[in-house]
Amino acid sequence: MMKKELKIKSNKTNQQKQKRTNPLANVFDDFIDFCQSKSLFMLHYCTGCGAIELPPAMTSRFDMERLGIQPMVTPRQADILLVTGYVSVKTLKRVILTYEQMQAPKYVIGICSCTVNGGMYWQSYATAKKLNEYMPVDVYIAGCMPRPEAVLEGLNRLKNNIKNDRKEQKGSAWKDYYKNYDYYLGNQQNLFGKEWQTPVDVIAEAKLYGLEGEGTYGENTKKLKMVQHPLLPQEMKL
Amino acid sequence: MNLLDQFFVIVAVALISIAMLRNIKVNSIVSTLWYVLMVVMLARMSSVAYNADTITSAFSIELLGFRMYWKFTALSWFFSIITVVSALASSLFMSGDWGKQYRQQGGNYGLLQLALILNVVSMLILLASGDLLSLFIGWEFVSWASFLMMVLMPSKTAKKAAVKYVIYAIVGAMALLAALAMVYASSGSLDFTQITDAFIQMTDNMKFGFVLLFFIGFAIKMGLLPFHLWQAVAYAETPGPGAAFLGAISSRMGLFTILVVIVQFIGLGNLEEMNIALPYLNMKSLLAWIAALTTIIPTYIALQQHDAKRLLAWHGVGQGGYMLLGIMMYDSIGSAGGLMHVLNHASYQAALFLTVVAVVYRTGTSDLNKLGGLVTQMPLTFLVMLIGIIGLAGLPPMNGFVSKWMVYRSLLVNGEPLLFVAAVLGTLGTILSVYKLIHNTFLGQLRVEHQQVREVPWSMMVPMLGLSVIVFITGFMPGLILPWIASIQETIGLPVVTYHLGGIEYAKGGLDMIWVSGILFYGFGVGALIFYFLGGKAKRIHQYDNYAGGHFLSSEVKYHYSNNFYPGLMHLIGNWYRGSFKWMENVIVSALSFVSKLFENMYRSRQPVMLLVLVAVVALFSIYKNYSGAGS
Repeated sequence: MMKKELKIKSNKTNQQKQKRTNPLANVFDDFIDFCQSKSLFMLHYCTGCGAIELPPAMTSRFDMERLGIQPMVTPRQADILLVTGYVSVKTLKRVILTYEQMQAPKYVIGICSCTVNGGMYWQSYATAKKLNEYMPVDVYIAGCMPRPEAVLEGLNRLKNNIKNDRKEQKGSAWKDYYKNYDYYLGNQQNLFGKEWQTPVDVIAEAKLYGLEGEGTYGENTKKLKMVQHPLLPQEMKL
Repeated sequence: MNLLDQFFVIVAVALISIAMLRNIKVNSIVSTLWYVLMVVMLARMSSVAYNADTITSAFSIELLGFRMYWKFTALSWFFSIITVVSALASSLFMSGDWGKQYRQQGGNYGLLQLALILNVVSMLILLASGDLLSLFIGWEFVSWASFLMMVLMPSKTAKKAAVKYVIYAIVGAMALLAALAMVYASSGSLDFTQITDAFIQMTDNMKFGFVLLFFIGFAIKMGLLPFHLWQAVAYAETPGPGAAFLGAISSRMGLFTILVVIVQFIGLGNLEEMNIALPYLNMKSLLAWIAALTTIIPTYIALQQHDAKRLLAWHGVGQGGYMLLGIMMYDSIGSAGGLMHVLNHASYQAALFLTVVAVVYRTGTSDLNKLGGLVTQMPLTFLVMLIGIIGLAGLPPMNGFVSKWMVYRSLLVNGEPLLFVAAVLGTLGTILSVYKLIHNTFLGQLRVEHQQVREVPWSMMVPMLGLSVIVFITGFMPGLILPWIASIQETIGLPVVTYHLGGIEYAKGGLDMIWVSGILFYGFGVGALIFYFLGGKAKRIHQYDNYAGGHFLSSEVKYHYSNNFYPGLMHLIGNWYRGSFKWMENVIVSALSFVSKLFENMYRSRQPVMLLVLVAVVALFSIYKNYSGAGS
């Protein structure tokens, strides 16, 4: 029964995507999604009070690690960026840099009401209200603050999204950053000013992943081109 | 004229031609060619090394009734080939652009080449010595030649270190002379074989004095504890390639003489019978413990250095301990490991020193706190240093692993767990400090002032690469070296090791480096296959596109932490660094200067002329007394 189901599903996805010559390719794809959802490294960018809820979520009482999620120290190896609480304008710059330094596939979780709509800081001039205006957010966990159970619930939802990505297209919010880079960049520029840039060349990465869309280029990327100081990689010189 | 005579004629002509040639370009080419010719001559004499023959020079001097002569044994040949090849590498290194820069900075290039060839000649004279008198003469030549090399640097620390060295060397030479006098007094001859006879006739107390006098003389040259303080600074403060040469082989002359006098002619078996504290300590285990402490203490001093050259020079002192430790085990693999370590250490130490000199050539500093990130600018130098530190740390597949493995194995087999732990502690310190060396020089953040730095020219690159090839090949196939070691063991009366191309055969577990390296490279190969062929999309980035807690990095933000490199470790062991040996040295210096002040004051306050007269009268009286006694 299971095998049959799998076959039907894979036939469905076959129609959506380009033809795969290997008959086992879709089985592998499902397997890869399964594996990805079971092993997630998390970089917690602890910006606000929501960070308080992470120690109990990580440690023995709620034990996040049984879900296959554990903390990681650098964005290069991390899969999840956890933003826990309000992001001031100054912090948001760092959060965006960290997000851009992560390697795809990458997922963002916003914890606390502050990331959803500014929360108790909604009147503040120095706080970014909606996180998903600046980077694609996979899962929001609302609450002020959410209990560890809620955090785990959110993480579980992310895992399910990743596992069923090819059917439901829910777990690939990160692709949106490349496909609609112009939109995100515009919001960032509105907030930080016209000189805003990070060392990461997002457009080049979009080309690398084959995710260039119509929204990748636009007015704002043109503005960026004008002010950008690209940091070229250092070459080995003999 | 046999081969040895021809060899010495060539060496003498080389010395004269290098001293006479004033033209810098010709001089540098000619001197390198002379070293090549010396290597060729040594290769022609290789029957010494493979068949344990002896070549005796036809030239000898009759002096006061005994014949002073020179000969080449397997041991002399082994040390000579290391000496000449290190000199060749150093000479080639300085012959091109390095020499040009050295002259521009006001250095006397001709004098440097002369100092190098003088060192080589004096070492060869010492290595070829056939009796105790020629050994002593060679010993003095070596001391003064090293002194010439050390004073070439104009800095004050260099001069101070050189003077300190000379004082140590004179003390060593006096100890050696006293031991020689004991031999002469007992037998009336200075033949090597007389050492054995003299030793047997002595009382127990005299035996201790005799062995210790020899040992102090040799230990000072080798920088064994407690005479280790002079060496590192003196070697580090020498012009670039000179430091590489001295660091590679110079202090091993002490080991050579230990091998000849203490191992071959006094005999380790005899040392074992000299009990100091029954049943815990005899003379042999005392020397083994001195060797073990020499591996530990200077290595941990090296860990604290922040100058690359001094760090390496301190390791040179520390690694000497492994050589002596292996030999003191008095079995086949231990002594083979100790002897092999001489060659292995020379090869990687010279390579490492040359890389540091190359870095100094490009950046102008060897201060580990002022470097970093040079790997993109000087990738080949990085590669050589990587190979060198793998050798120095004693990891496979480089040659340092082979010799250290043999020493460890021998310590375990001989039931010396405490010495084994000591040797492992030394290796731990070595690994920590060589990591510091390569990290602070080549990894991490490239400084703004070094962004235009380029790889060194080929005249400097070739000797470095050549040495690193030696480091790898002799690690991959130690069987190339082991025949020489076996002949040495046969010559000086140690148990002979059984070898094959990949390593040694040993009843309690041998070593085959071809397998070890093969499995190692197989592991790397699988990793490389996965990384490069199964998907791995690498993306090169700029160093400022790096994670530092979200900071936007720039040249003002330093994230390369080199100062105070091991704070956690130093928190644990920092209190152990108490400078006790320095304190001891200072105590001796102050006591001596106090005594000399005392005599000086006495001399000045009285009538100096009267004192002189008094001394003269006493001297004359004693001479009269002695002679009249002898006459009656």
